[in-house]
Amino acid sequence: MGGNQSMPKVTAQDRAILDLKLQRDKVKQYQKNLQAILDREEAIAKQHLSAGHKDRALVALRRRKYQQGLLLKTDGQLENLQQLVSTIEFSLVEVSVLHGLKQGNEVLKEIHKEMNVESVERLLEETAEAREYQREIDEMLANNLSLDEEDAVQAELRELQAAVLGEQPSDDVRLPSAPTSEPVAQPEEEEKEVVTDTARTAVPA
Amino acid sequence: MALSTHTTTSGFLLPSIHSAPPFFTQQPHPTSLSIATDQWIQIILKYARHRRLFTIRVQDAETPGNVWDEILRNERINRKLLPSYLSYIFTQMVSRKVAAYDPPKQDRSILIYWRLPEEWAEVLYEWVSSTANMNTIMTFYEITDPPIESPLSALPIPLLRQAIAILAKSNRAQIIAIAEGEGVRFFPTTIKA
Repeated sequence: MGGNQSMPKVTAQDRAILDLKLQRDKVKQYQKNLQAILDREEAIAKQHLSAGHKDRALVALRRRKYQQGLLLKTDGQLENLQQLVSTIEFSLVEVSVLHGLKQGNEVLKEIHKEMNVESVERLLEETAEAREYQREIDEMLANNLSLDEEDAVQAELRELQAAVLGEQPSDDVRLPSAPTSEPVAQPEEEEKEVVTDTARTAVPA
Repeated sequence: MALSTHTTTSGFLLPSIHSAPPFFTQQPHPTSLSIATDQWIQIILKYARHRRLFTIRVQDAETPGNVWDEILRNERINRKLLPSYLSYIFTQMVSRKVAAYDPPKQDRSILIYWRLPEEWAEVLYEWVSSTANMNTIMTFYEITDPPIESPLSALPIPLLRQAIAILAKSNRAQIIAIAEGEGVRFFPTTIKA
């Protein structure tokens, strides 16, 4: 592990995203404030009502209504901010995917330069020629052998055959014959014996 | 006199020594003082963990009506911890590194490390990983005040900074600062073969 290699640099886009997120936080905090004010205004209105000041309660409720409207508007702004943040983050992902594709494409092109179709064909042809050539040489060598010593080899083969076949019984191999009658069932006494035998054997505990 | 434990209204169990009147007096004898101080530090740490409190001030012993009342006062035996003793306990806690003066260079309030900054760093990293926030830029507010309760909710910013600094040393976090404020980005650890 060397130096700061694992941490990428902070880019301008990162700063922009951070800025947006800070704004989003500010809006959220503002919303919290508003909610607290709303609750307080409601408590004030209740107080006034219980004290009998209906008009003051009304004023408090009107204030509360106005602030509820503000809250809704800030909700909308918050949504906008969130969307913008998500879009930016997504486009950064897209950019890195594109970058990856481009690099992969380059690598593939380099490989293809080394391995073009003509040179592959030529290589295969040369291999086929070489194989042909080798086969001819083999035949020639084989021919040489048979011209000189073919008769002697054939005689040896006949002798070997006779020796091997002489050990075996003559002619064909005997197979057992298939039964010509139906099989007879075993007498029942034997069966009973078997059954009682098994009944008597005790199973060890 | 039989000393007994007592469970407070918030569900915290006070040890039996808390029911002994001498416990609330700063003992002159050094051995008994050190034993009593140890016990006080334990109680403060446990209570802070129980109620998720991060700071305590000398002022909390001076005036009643704050969150530390259940510990610093014992109405049943009519005793309370004096501010001078609490101040001494603070110095002991700081020297044992279970607390730090915050803001620094004063001695009236401390930040309690009922969890050490290193442990907070790990908890922070785990939380970022489990909420799929790796490689995304986060603001401090997002971490200390998430919409869903997390082990890091209400974490004081100085403690958060310490935890981030610890992670930055092991290349797992990076602070980004702009004119408006600060943010942080966390990185997954790549296991190098």
